[in-house]
Amino acid sequence: MEEELIQIKNSAVSLILDAKDKEELLDLKIRFLGRNGRFTLAIKELSKLPKEKRPEIGRLANEVKNTIEETISEKESRVTKQRFQELKEKIDTTIQGIRPPIGHLHPASQVLYDVVDVFKSLGFQTADGPEIETDYYNFTALNMPPNAPSRDTQATLYLDTRNSKVKPGEILLRTQTSSMQVRIMEKIKPPIRVIVPGKTYRVDDVDASHSFEFWQVEGFLVDENVRLTDLFGTIDYVLKKLMGKDIKIKFATTNFSFVEPGVDTYIECTVCKGKGCSFCKMTGWSEIMPAGMIHPNVLKTAGYDPKKVSGFAFAIGLSRLVTLRYQMDDLRLLTNPDLRIIEQF
Amino acid sequence: MLVPLSWLKEYVDIKLSPEKLGERLTEVGLGTEKIIKTNDDVIFEFEITPNRPDLLSIIGIAREIAAIENTKIKIPPLRPGFAGQAKPKKTLPLTIKTDSKINPRFTGIIIDGITVKESPDWLKEKLIKIGQRPINNIVDITNYVMFELGNPIHAFDYKKIRGSVMRVHQAKGAEKFTSVDGVTYRLPKGAVVISDSEKIIDLCGIKGGLNSGTFENTKTIFIRVPVEIPVLIRRTATSLSLRSEASSIFERGVNAGGTVDALKRCIELVLREAGGQIASELFDIKKEVFLPWKLNLELERLNKILGISIGEGEVLNLLQRLNLNPLKKTKNIIEVTIPTYRNDLKIEEDIIEEVARLYGYNKFPKTIPQGQIPTAQIPYLKDYGVEKKAKSILIASGFSEIYTYSLVSEKDLLENGLNPNKSLRVDNPVSREFEYLRTSLVPSLKKALIQNKPYFEKINLFELGKVYLGSYIDSALEIYYLSGITNEKNFYEVKGTIEKLFDDCGINEDPTRYIQIFDEGIFFELNFSDILSKINLSKKYKPIPKYPPIIEDLTIEVSEKITVRDIIAEIKKQSPLIRQVSLLDVFENSRTFHIVYQHRERNLTNGEVSKIREKILEALKKQFKAKLKE
Repeated sequence: MEEELIQIKNSAVSLILDAKDKEELLDLKIRFLGRNGRFTLAIKELSKLPKEKRPEIGRLANEVKNTIEETISEKESRVTKQRFQELKEKIDTTIQGIRPPIGHLHPASQVLYDVVDVFKSLGFQTADGPEIETDYYNFTALNMPPNAPSRDTQATLYLDTRNSKVKPGEILLRTQTSSMQVRIMEKIKPPIRVIVPGKTYRVDDVDASHSFEFWQVEGFLVDENVRLTDLFGTIDYVLKKLMGKDIKIKFATTNFSFVEPGVDTYIECTVCKGKGCSFCKMTGWSEIMPAGMIHPNVLKTAGYDPKKVSGFAFAIGLSRLVTLRYQMDDLRLLTNPDLRIIEQF
Repeated sequence: MLVPLSWLKEYVDIKLSPEKLGERLTEVGLGTEKIIKTNDDVIFEFEITPNRPDLLSIIGIAREIAAIENTKIKIPPLRPGFAGQAKPKKTLPLTIKTDSKINPRFTGIIIDGITVKESPDWLKEKLIKIGQRPINNIVDITNYVMFELGNPIHAFDYKKIRGSVMRVHQAKGAEKFTSVDGVTYRLPKGAVVISDSEKIIDLCGIKGGLNSGTFENTKTIFIRVPVEIPVLIRRTATSLSLRSEASSIFERGVNAGGTVDALKRCIELVLREAGGQIASELFDIKKEVFLPWKLNLELERLNKILGISIGEGEVLNLLQRLNLNPLKKTKNIIEVTIPTYRNDLKIEEDIIEEVARLYGYNKFPKTIPQGQIPTAQIPYLKDYGVEKKAKSILIASGFSEIYTYSLVSEKDLLENGLNPNKSLRVDNPVSREFEYLRTSLVPSLKKALIQNKPYFEKINLFELGKVYLGSYIDSALEIYYLSGITNEKNFYEVKGTIEKLFDDCGINEDPTRYIQIFDEGIFFELNFSDILSKINLSKKYKPIPKYPPIIEDLTIEVSEKITVRDIIAEIKKQSPLIRQVSLLDVFENSRTFHIVYQHRERNLTNGEVSKIREKILEALKKQFKAKLKE
């Protein structure tokens, strides 16, 4: 009995190892382990053995069965792999793949969606507002009354008011998405965390870093106890998320009528790596995010008490952020529909 | 504004290198745009913010540097006992009629017996370095003192002031005025001017008149150092599109307390460089006293708003360096006294910024806002989810996204059958090319396709952007359109793409009417704002059928005029067991339909199906004279 089992094992293993394909292996499996297979038949003799010998022979039988099964499965996987290899060898795999004819999302959208996501993670909701705006929301409500010299920094495109009840100069194309600050604040109570992406317009000559039409993302947060350090922290967090943690950021004082204290944010120019180029006006830094603590007059205009709540506001130059992220040296690339540009993204 | 380092050094000791100085000045709010090194000097180009008229002067910038360097400025000393303070030897007549409502302060003096000539080299050099053209010693001195101290000054030829009268008043409108540089303007109503007994001789705060200017033969001058009303100056300057150094300062608010000092400085230089003697009292006509004003700063509030704790000693030191004369009133309150040249400091927050900016923004720690995350939905909410979904369907279909300008030309509109008279127009466009707000994305997409043709065979483009509807501003309406153009795909492929988009948005609509066939390709334009309002993203699971369907293809011959939509509708009507009908093939007048029969609760038999099939054929024969193809 013992000898027979060992013989079955040796014969099975040698046959399995010689098998050429899956069919032959299946055949061998039946020949040995099938209902009338050699092993199965041999096992049936087990009961005829004396009781004391049974456990020992039983263990051997198990071992033989396991060995046959393992050898088959090992050989099977080898045969399969070999077959796949053969199939692959029939074709020239060095030829470039056929890519699905998928289009491209504009780089500005890619950055915009990232901006929306980063701010979402900080609890900011996203709003959308009119580009055709009143003088009031664009300027006056933002502490820039008529004839304020600060209006000079935002040369404005005014809309033709013929055949309407509107006086010339009252309706304009918004010069800043900040126009949404009072629009939103006057409708709800703090705490508020909002960003407003959108197009803005100014009378400006078009060059590598300026345009009459460009994208901004306004953002503001109003709550009790908002601090200047919160503004610095938020800007730092957001810009590092968007531009990479190694980006260099610096802050400077500036003046915008609707903030006090006023902050300007610069990041090291990615086009020239801070060396100075035409895109950054040879300064090595690019102005990216003017900001500040919301001016008490703006909070009052919105119907809030500046002694009880405070807030910060910022405006990201989205167009500039896109060009800086991808090291594009000209803002005009973003409105150029040339697929040779867009297909890179 | 151009500022030579050598000039600054006359008033302040500077230890920092020009680069470091530029960096620190930018940090405190004086944007350093360029640092130009010349043979013998360093010239800074600064961007001056609209709130700081004092920084339009060398002394103002020197004060900022002194604050940074923690030192004091050296104010140019006036020669002891100079004539301005003594009684004049002779007095020439002059009557001044002014109104503090339009001219809050009128400071001036007459100097007689001067010699107008070329300026000395030191003066010419200084002016050239800051980008000014030297004219003659008198004009140059008034300019020099303006750039030095920040108070605009104008010298009149005294002999040309008819009737020895100067009357400050507002123009009625349309009066002619020729400025000292020979340009003639029609004055707007309300412009503040000075007239003598015959004519207008000065456009206050903006430009002097040609008829009273200082030229070579001038022997006697009247020097005026005024305070003007910002709004009045700005209105006139804007209306005439005429800006001068003086008007920039007056618009921002001149140092009202500085007129007498500026006049004295001017007198000193005139007497030194042009000779002559004082020939009148020192006029100083004003209603207000123009004294420094006081503000309180609460230390607690300062630290609460800034988010850091700057010690009381440090705060006092910073304020002192800025010449704000801090005085501790109580444990929590510091009183500051604002010099008259700092018109921008009006409220406590302004003082908080002063402390913060000199402390250094880049030394602040960074924190994340502590408050609760708002959960209430904001007004004007925009959900980018749908936008992203729509764009990914188009992109998966091979379209690439572009962004184009919202402003288009009249030609763009006309070429695409759009009416410029029914489009919103910009009054002051940057150019004719960008005059109208677009009412469709057709013009820009068509242009984009043509632009890409030399480089690409297959072009599929889309844009999601605003159009601006309404013929007049009263009815202006901003709507998002989602439009695309393709020269690769056929009508059915474009239609299928939009069908897929509609399906995913839960909109049950035939997109055919949104698709146009142009010579250049297939174009579609969807009202995306409308999609956003109709969208239904709710989904409900339907169990998969337990029993297998019976599927068959049916080919019929029918007139080509009958639409597939009508045939499918007719087939579906015949039995509720028809789960799905689709067109498989078209060849001449034959149409092959793929029909799926299925019962939800049991297996269908061939007998049942053949009965339905007969019913279908009968209906099609009756309705459309169709017959089964043999």
